[in-house]
Amino acid sequence: MREVVLKIEDLCVDYGKKSILKNINVTFEKNKITAIIGPSGCGKSTFLKSLNKTVEEYGGKISGSISLNNNSIMNMPLEKLRNSIGMVFQTPVVFPFSIYKNMTFAPIYYGEKNKEKLNSIVVENLKKACLYEEVKSDLNMQASKLSGGQQQRLVIARCLTVNPEIILLDEPCSALDIKNTSHIEKMLLELKNDYTIIIVTHNLAQAKRIADYVMYMEEGTMVEMGNPDEIFNNPVDSRTKEYILYMKN
Amino acid sequence: MKNKFQDNLFKLWVIISGLTILIVTIGIFSYLLYKGFKVISTEFIFSSPKGVPLGTEGGIFPAIVGSLLSGLLSGLLGGILGLCTAVYLVFYCENLTIKIYILQALQCLAGIPSVVIGLFGYSLLIVGFGINKSLLSASITLTIMIIPFISIRIKKALEETSKDQYICSLSLGISKSYTIVRLVIPNAFKYIMTSLGIGIAFSMGATAPVMFTGAVISSGIPSKLTDPFMSLPYHLYILVNEGLSVDMAYGTAFVLIVIVLLINLICHLVGNYEDM
Ligand SMILES: Nc1ncnc2c1ncn2[C@@H]1O[C@H](COP(=O)(O)OP(=O)(O)O)[C@@H](O)[C@H]1O
Ligand SMILES: [Mg+2]
Repeated sequence: MREVVLKIEDLCVDYGKKSILKNINVTFEKNKITAIIGPSGCGKSTFLKSLNKTVEEYGGKISGSISLNNNSIMNMPLEKLRNSIGMVFQTPVVFPFSIYKNMTFAPIYYGEKNKEKLNSIVVENLKKACLYEEVKSDLNMQASKLSGGQQQRLVIARCLTVNPEIILLDEPCSALDIKNTSHIEKMLLELKNDYTIIIVTHNLAQAKRIADYVMYMEEGTMVEMGNPDEIFNNPVDSRTKEYILYMKN
Repeated sequence: MKNKFQDNLFKLWVIISGLTILIVTIGIFSYLLYKGFKVISTEFIFSSPKGVPLGTEGGIFPAIVGSLLSGLLSGLLGGILGLCTAVYLVFYCENLTIKIYILQALQCLAGIPSVVIGLFGYSLLIVGFGINKSLLSASITLTIMIIPFISIRIKKALEETSKDQYICSLSLGISKSYTIVRLVIPNAFKYIMTSLGIGIAFSMGATAPVMFTGAVISSGIPSKLTDPFMSLPYHLYILVNEGLSVDMAYGTAFVLIVIVLLINLICHLVGNYEDM
């Protein structure tokens, strides 16, 4: 059964006078991985950032409507919105604390004081992000000492600590080697049982491997969306066709 | 050929400039240390000025304490105000015009000669509000002087260290104020402490702002904020200006420099202490 979690209608985003996203209409399905592809500068990151309104922190203006489980997010308290829609940025941004404190930073803010509870939040989410085994002996280590791939998984685990429904990932593997990339892909495939995942990637092979749906963007518009087979082998729009051909060579 | 020659000439010029700065600095320091060290004794450090005229014998203990107190107090006030100003400018001020006005105001404040700030402090605090010439009024005047230096440095540190982390924390639904207090400030703590150190050192070395507002030729150790106090640079000024004792003046300068260096060192160490 198709169940829509996120419905976007006529979404536009402007930075000052510059219009970045133009009338985007799209829906995202529950417990699926949707990959967003498109030439760089077409507005993929901006699109992700508008879904939990972080784009406003950069001075962007959003118009149109976005609804989460049929509730408009436009007037939803930011805290509630960002608890439901978590975000992982392109370069992993770990806080300058220990691994443990990175993981408890948000739960403590939300009022969790019980030490056991906090411990279990840390362990559980590190496990979900396939990082626990590697760091369990040294949770008090500075997070910045982890490798790039580990940091990226830590950031994903940290994002899970607020119990989001949807996870947005912006090119999470762009700085990682093959081994770390496949680690993350495996993790995402497991996470999709519990979460809805929207991932921007410039790696078409990656989209093919993990995505249930692929969305192609160009110049601030959504060109088309479909399952990977359709998009990669039988795109409807000539722009998609061109891009895929170009990327293959 | 000609280009090569110009190139070398330029290089020589740059090297000479660098070396000159280094030599001048080392020269000043070693001369001061040499001249000052001769006068240093436990008596000099731990007793009050004595002799006739006062200051020709004895020590400078009240001036050490006075300078430390006024430096720390103005550092505390300036640190709080400077940090808040910087946080406002970086994270809260959305109106570009207001931001530019505040930055301009800080630049202007930084450009006011310290003797004029002293005059202002005197007119406002002593004449206007009727506060004694005291530790309090001098520290407030010093605070006005160091605020632009502290806030501009902290602002720079906040801008450089934290934008990504700030947004990342907001994207977890965490509020702006919690993010600033628990993440941004601890993260920039090192730079905040060094800015504070520079501010305190600057205020401890200033003579003009305190001589109208609180420093006196002779006093005991101030027991409350509204007592007048002795200050190292002002004491030094008196010793030389009244022709009391150039040796004692070098001793005083020596102590002042050592304290200022120590404060910078302590701020640096505190800033680097990571307990996070
Ligand atoms: N903070 C900003 N202010 C102004 N323009 C921006 C800002 N961030 C991104 N842009 C512009 O928005 C467009 C889309 O950027 P982005 O969403 O990062 O593209 P992508 O992720 O697809 O490479 C680019 O033209 C970029 O220059
Ligand atoms: Mg991008």
